[in-house]
Formats: sequence, C-alpha cells, structure tokens
Amino acid sequence: MKKRTGKPKQQQVGRWRFYVVFATVALVFFALISRAAYIQVIQPDMLRKQGDARTHRYLADNVHRGMIKDRNGLELAISAPVNTVWADPVTINRYHGLTLEREWRALADVLNDPVDRLLDKVNVAIEKEKRFIYLGRQITPALAEYIDQLDIPGVYLRPESKRYYPYGEVSAHLVGLTNIDDDGIEGIESLYNDELTGEAGKRHVLKDARGQVIKVLNVDEAHPAQDIYLSIDQGIQALAYQELKSAVQYHDADSGSVVMVDVNTGEILALVNSPSYNPNNRNTYSARNARNRAVTDAFEPGSSIKPLVVLSALEFGSVSPGDLIDTSPGWMQIGGRRVRDGRNNGKMDLISILQKSSNVGVTKLALSMPVEHFLDAYYNAGFGTDSGSSILGESSGVFYDRRRWSDFELATLSFGYGLSVTPIQLARFYATIAAGGIQRPLSIIKRDTAPEGDRVFAASSSRQVLRMLERVTEEGGTGTRAAVEGYRIAGKTGTSRKAVAGGYGHDYYSTFVGIAPASKPRIALVVVVNNPKGDEYGGGDVAAPVFSKIAQGALRILNESPDQEGSVTLANRQGGKPSA
Amino acid sequence: MRNEESRNIWRRIHLDLPLLSGLLALMLLGLIVIYSAGGQDIALIYRQVTRLGIGLVVMLFVAQIPPAFYQRWAVPLFLVGCGMLIAVLLYGHVGKGAQRWLDLGVTKFQPSEIMKLAVPIMIAWFISRKPIPATLTDTFIGLALVMIPTLLIAKQPDLGTSLLIAASGLFVLFLAGLSWRLIFAFILSMSAFMPVMWFFIMHNYQKQRVLTFLDPETDPLGTGYHIIQSQIAIGSGGKTGKGWLEGTQSQLEFLPERHTDFIFAVFSEEFGLFGILVLLAIYLYIVGRGMTIAIRAQDSFTKLLAGSITLTFFVYVFVNIGMVSGLLPVVGVPLPLVSYGGTSMVTLMAAFGVLMAISTHRRFLQQ
Repeated sequence: MKKRTGKPKQQQVGRWRFYVVFATVALVFFALISRAAYIQVIQPDMLRKQGDARTHRYLADNVHRGMIKDRNGLELAISAPVNTVWADPVTINRYHGLTLEREWRALADVLNDPVDRLLDKVNVAIEKEKRFIYLGRQITPALAEYIDQLDIPGVYLRPESKRYYPYGEVSAHLVGLTNIDDDGIEGIESLYNDELTGEAGKRHVLKDARGQVIKVLNVDEAHPAQDIYLSIDQGIQALAYQELKSAVQYHDADSGSVVMVDVNTGEILALVNSPSYNPNNRNTYSARNARNRAVTDAFEPGSSIKPLVVLSALEFGSVSPGDLIDTSPGWMQIGGRRVRDGRNNGKMDLISILQKSSNVGVTKLALSMPVEHFLDAYYNAGFGTDSGSSILGESSGVFYDRRRWSDFELATLSFGYGLSVTPIQLARFYATIAAGGIQRPLSIIKRDTAPEGDRVFAASSSRQVLRMLERVTEEGGTGTRAAVEGYRIAGKTGTSRKAVAGGYGHDYYSTFVGIAPASKPRIALVVVVNNPKGDEYGGGDVAAPVFSKIAQGALRILNESPDQEGSVTLANRQGGKPSA
Repeated sequence: MRNEESRNIWRRIHLDLPLLSGLLALMLLGLIVIYSAGGQDIALIYRQVTRLGIGLVVMLFVAQIPPAFYQRWAVPLFLVGCGMLIAVLLYGHVGKGAQRWLDLGVTKFQPSEIMKLAVPIMIAWFISRKPIPATLTDTFIGLALVMIPTLLIAKQPDLGTSLLIAASGLFVLFLAGLSWRLIFAFILSMSAFMPVMWFFIMHNYQKQRVLTFLDPETDPLGTGYHIIQSQIAIGSGGKTGKGWLEGTQSQLEFLPERHTDFIFAVFSEEFGLFGILVLLAIYLYIVGRGMTIAIRAQDSFTKLLAGSITLTFFVYVFVNIGMVSGLLPVVGVPLPLVSYGGTSMVTLMAAFGVLMAISTHRRFLQQ
C-alpha cells in the first residue's frame, strides 16, 4: 500500500492518509465499545456479583433469648446478663500485655483459674498467633466490671446471657436446658429453640472500602425472640412435684410421674417426674435424672385401663348399666390359662367390677363383644399414638397390631397387660372420658381457645363410666385414699407387675388415675409410682394418696367450687344398688 | 444571510463552532461524573469549572495566533522545551516518585506539557520545509528529533507522557507520507527493542504494571487492584447503568483515582453501555472534526500539525479507556476533558486552540 502522493514538487499532504487514519480511529473506537459491551453485557453477572461481594454485607443484631413462662406469666426460664472474657493473643503480645503480672494474677483469681495455667494458655496462643481465645465464660456483671478495670491490653469482655431457671428441679424436665452457647438442648428450650432465639434482625447494608456502613438496603426485622407461655400452672406443678417427690422417697420407689390435664382444653396443667435435677447446676444432671418419664416411659397400665373395657362394652351394647355379671368362682379358665380375682366376688354389676377391679368381670365383658370393636376402643382412646403434645422424646407406647388375638390375649388386654402406655397417654384417655367422649390433642403450650376435638366415645356411655368411677373412691372401693374432701372424685387404681425376662416379677407400677370434680370435670390426673419397695405397693395405697393431695391443691388453685351436696345426691341415687 | 453573518462572527473570534460544541459537551459530561465520583463535593466542581474556564481562555487566546507564527517559532520553542526537560532532570521537584515538576517560583509546572505541542510543531515545521514526502534522511532526522524529548521524559520517569509525545511526533511523520516499508521496519525494530526496554530501561514498577495487566488476578490487592476494581465497576453498570450517584464501586471508594484517571469506570458504572456509546460518539465527533480541519488546511505544516494534534487527542482517549477497561496496561493518562485534572487539560485546550486557529485562519487566507 505504499503510495507517494503526487510529485515531490507538490507540497501537499495526501488526503488519503487522513481517511485511512480516521477509519482506523473509528475502528479503534468500535473496539473500545466492544470491550465495554463485553464487560457490561456478556460478562456482567460475574462482575456485578463481585461488586456486590465487595459492598453488600449482612449484619445481625443481638437478641436476648425469650423467656419461658407458665400460663400465668410466672417465669420458668430467664436470661441473665453475663460476660465472656476473651483475649486476642496477638494484641496482648504487641502491647506486651503479659508483663502486667499483677493484673494477670488478679484476673486468674477472678476466673478461678491457677495463674500459671492461664498464662500458659495465653503463651501457647501467642505462639500460634491466634486472634481469639476464651479466658472465661458466664462471668457475672460484678466480676466483669472488675476485669474491665484491670484494663489488660488484648483482654476483652463480650456480653452474653446465661439461662437461669427460678424453679429449678420442679419443671426441669419440661422446660429443659440450654447449652453454654444459649441453644436449647432439652425440653421446651430445645423444642421451641427457634421461637425463643428469634431470628436476629438482619440488616442488609452497603459498606465502603474502609468497612463503614454507607446505606442500609433492607432490614429483616424478621422475628424478635418470643416468650413461650406454657400451659402448666406453676403452682400446681410445684405442689405435684413436692407430693410426688415425698411419695417416691417415702416408698423408696425408683421413680414417679404426675400428669395433670385440663379436661376442657387439653392443656397440660402439670407434668412432673421424680427424680429430677437442678438445671442451674449441671452437676446434678444425669441421664437417669433428666428423663422426662411422664412422656418417655411406657408401662403396662394394669387395672387403670379397665374403664375402657366397660366403656366399649356399653358402646357395643353387650351390657347395660344395671346388668349383673357372674364372676364366681373368682377365676376363669381361658385356653389353658387362668384369669383370677383376689377373691370370689360372685355376681357383680359394672360399678362393682370397677370398684373392686375384677379381672374376671372385665374379661367377660371383653369377650362379650367382637374383637374389632374391642380393639378399636384402645385405638380410639389414643393408645399406640402420641398425645399431640409434641414434647420431646414422647413415646407412643406399645400396642401390638396383630392379625389374630387369642381370647387370653384379649383378656390380658382388658386388665391392662400386653400393651404399654405412657402416663401422658393415660391422662389423655381419662380426660376424654371426663369430656364426655371428646378427645382433644394435648398441649404443653397455653391455648387461647379449646380445640373442638374428636368424639371417640358416646357422651352417654362416657358419662355412665364416669359415674361408676366415682364409686372407686367411695367407701368399699380400691381408691378411697384418693378422695378429696368436699369434691367428688372419679378414678381408678392400677397395680401392675413389671415384666421381667421370662414373665412378671415382684416389682410394681402403682397407679392412680382420676377425674375431678366428677360433677363437672375440670382435671384429669395421673399418678404413677414406679417400684415402691415398702410394705404398700398397690395403686390405692401408694398412688391414691398422692392423687388426693395434688387434686385437692389443684382444685383450690383452679378455684373449682366444692360439690359436697351433689356428691351426696348422686351417691344416694346410685346407692340404690348395693355394692358388694 | 443571517447564517452567514453569525459564521463571520465565529470566524472573527477564531473559534470553530462544531469543535467547540463537542468540547463543551465533553466538559459538561465530565462535570457531571466528577460530581458523582468526587463524593458530591461541590468544591471539586468549582475547581474543575475554574480550570475549564482557564482552559477555554487559553484556547481562545491561542486561536487568535495565526499558524504561521508557530511555524516561525517552532525551533526556539522546541529548544526551550528540551532545555527545561533537562532542567527538570537536574533540579526538578520530586512528586509521587517521579521528577516531573519544575518550580518556577510562582508556580510549578511540567515542561513535558509544553513538549506535547512543541514536538508536533517542530516535526511538522521540519518536514514541511521541503517537498513532501520527506526523504529518508529527513525522516530519520525527524525521528531523532522525536526521540530526544521522548527519552528525556521517559527518564523522569513518565512513560505515559513520553509515549504520547513520541506518538504526536510519529503521527506527523506518518501523515507526511512515511513509506510503509519504513513503518514496517520500524515496527520490527520496536519489537526487537522490546526485550531491551524490558531489561534495561523499564523501572520495576513499570514492569509490574505490564505483568499485572497480563494477569491482574495474580495480585488482586496490590497492583492488580486498579484493574480488577475498575472492570468490576464497568461491568456492574450493565446496559443502562446504575444511575447517576448510584454507582457502588465508585461511591464507596473501592475504585482508586476515580475522579481522575479512572473516571471512565465511574461513568460506565453509572451510565452503562448506553452512556459509553454517547461518550465515544462525542469523542469520535471531535476526532472527525479535527481530521476535517486537517484535510481542509491550506498548507502541509498546518495539515500535519492539525492531524497530529487530533490523533494525539485520540490516543489519549484510547489509552485511557483501554487502560480502564483492561485492554492496555495501567498508564497514568487522564480521560481528556472529562477527568478531573490540571496542567494536562490546559495543554489540551491550547492544542485545540491551535486546531481552531488552523481552521479559522485558513478561511481568512483564502479570501
């Protein structure tokens, strides 16, 4: 493309070079625009992300863990401000912080740590150039103030909170625990950890190159920590725990549980176990003590299941309230095995069967109806399924779903063997009877309105069984010691042998389950004492007195009016039939 | 008739209206971006407006001088300039690790700025003395004349300016009809010279810049920082940009030198590809107008001078945008008339004054 414009004489610069040059310029501009387009349109996602990565940050606000309160607002778990003492070893080293011997001695003193060990720890961290080590945690505000005044360079305080449980062991199983990082690990603390923690308010911000917040783009107020209101009444809870604990101690029992349910709402008013532990002192914590037996431990309910048999027989119509059933001679042979009563009761009506807790009587009732109907009653009563309380570790008990049931197996079911239930399931069943056959899911959280519930038993038969159960606590019944002065109490004792390898041993579950007041049911209460080792071991002797004391206190706390008169009237009316 | 009259007015004050409007548009755009990039500091705007005002006055003043004057004073101007460059190397003021400033007592200034005009004037004068195209000997003499100030400035060290000045001289030679054979030979020798430059002439920081340019990610927090940040800024602008005052990379000070050398990145982030198209269209328009003036110029001296000035202006734009968008290594060249900056802009305006002089005085001579 060499071109020399015109002749040498012609003193002109060729135009074409300017055109070529301008074309080149235009081309270069095009290249620049292409480059920009490449960066902005083809490559931009990556770059935009990179840009955001440099400027967008999420900041979390600090929130305090919510409180756990009982139904009346009494605080069961609260957070107290404490401090964490931490150190930045690099900073300590930079300012020769370790030379302040007096201060470190004082710090070690406050932290309850030998000064040599503390300094060793810091020295090791300095060598590794760490930027963060814990020196002490959960330091009380007063001590924190003192540490602050020591003013050791590189030693800092960070506010934290420590969980405190004012009622200690009374509600330990229910309320649970948090770990040192304030996360719930047991009980309600764990179950409702998200609500209690809240979602720390997050702020989406723009930060500049120096890390300063320039602009808040978005605030996720999200969820401040909530307080959890439990359904329990701490007054009743404390009473129940005290009574249970003293009974367990008195009878030298292995353990015990109490569950109280509000019949009208399905709320759990009390749930205690013994032994318990003090959640404020981790040293008392052990697997044995920490077990929430009322929901985790299933046992064979024994006689306390008998009202269910009567109820289902009434529902089916194979028997009516006034019928007499011959239980003589006090035992019966089924398929080569024998079902026996304590003594020969002769002909009994339904009331006496319950009142005297006749095994032969309920066996006859059980065998008087189709197997399906009989088994359905157990399912309807809620055995084999959980109570709906969603308390951690809840067991559904054991209820075998077999194809074939022998008569003897049905007989054992009728007096409460061959299945296992938890105290809370038992409470729910009795609450269902008390509510006139309406079953409500239980709740450990305070309810604003009662759930409608499902009708699982007819109102009339439920009422009939309830009345019959009143007789158990009256003169001649097995549960007289469960009576509460001034109130009519319906209930049932249970004394079940514990299964051991190869059969049943000589350890017992001593149970009393009851409903109070029977005239206008408000509470269903289960008392289970596991393996009482004294002379007394029957439900009527061990569990019934505990029931009486707890029910008495609870009815007063719940402000239920006494119904002495009604009791008399009903007793008179039903007393028309002699009770064995 | 009216139109003719108004044209006469512009001619009488020796201003080229199309060129002037292009320049004013750029200045306005520059002010808008500087306001955003400078953290909305109104004082910055006042200073820039003052500087632009001085630039316009200088331009107006220079435009009054007929091109023949420069032709006459080409040699003295060049010699004085070279003298001052030597003075800088001997007594100069050190700023930012380089010796560029000459303290005149009243004010400090960079003699290299004078050379930006003195070199093309000198070479244009030298070449246009004799019939065009220049002989081989003259071409080599011209090359030598270019190299003297170039090397002096490179020694300061100010690689960017020295390259620009070399370019301004070479453009004259090229436009004067430098044979393609020579151009080819020159390019060959330059590529052969490259390794020599690398090992013997370039400073470490300059080498580092080239290395970083080739792969900015190797040193994202050090020398690669500029490039990465500016590309992120440009890229995050997208097609239509984030909007004025909304650019995060620039507003949040991630981008260094954002109101001076890297202002294009701020502009791109806030106005996007669309804005870039507008900006480059204005630049292209100015270059086009400059070339038109060059083509219409009456004699070889003015033709070559106008062409060189225009092309040098274009090189400014190309080097700056190329650098900011990662096409070229980082060289300290501002975006002409848009970047916040002092001396170099006044020089630039003086150069445009020369262009206008060439444009308007030509008409006068024709009549």
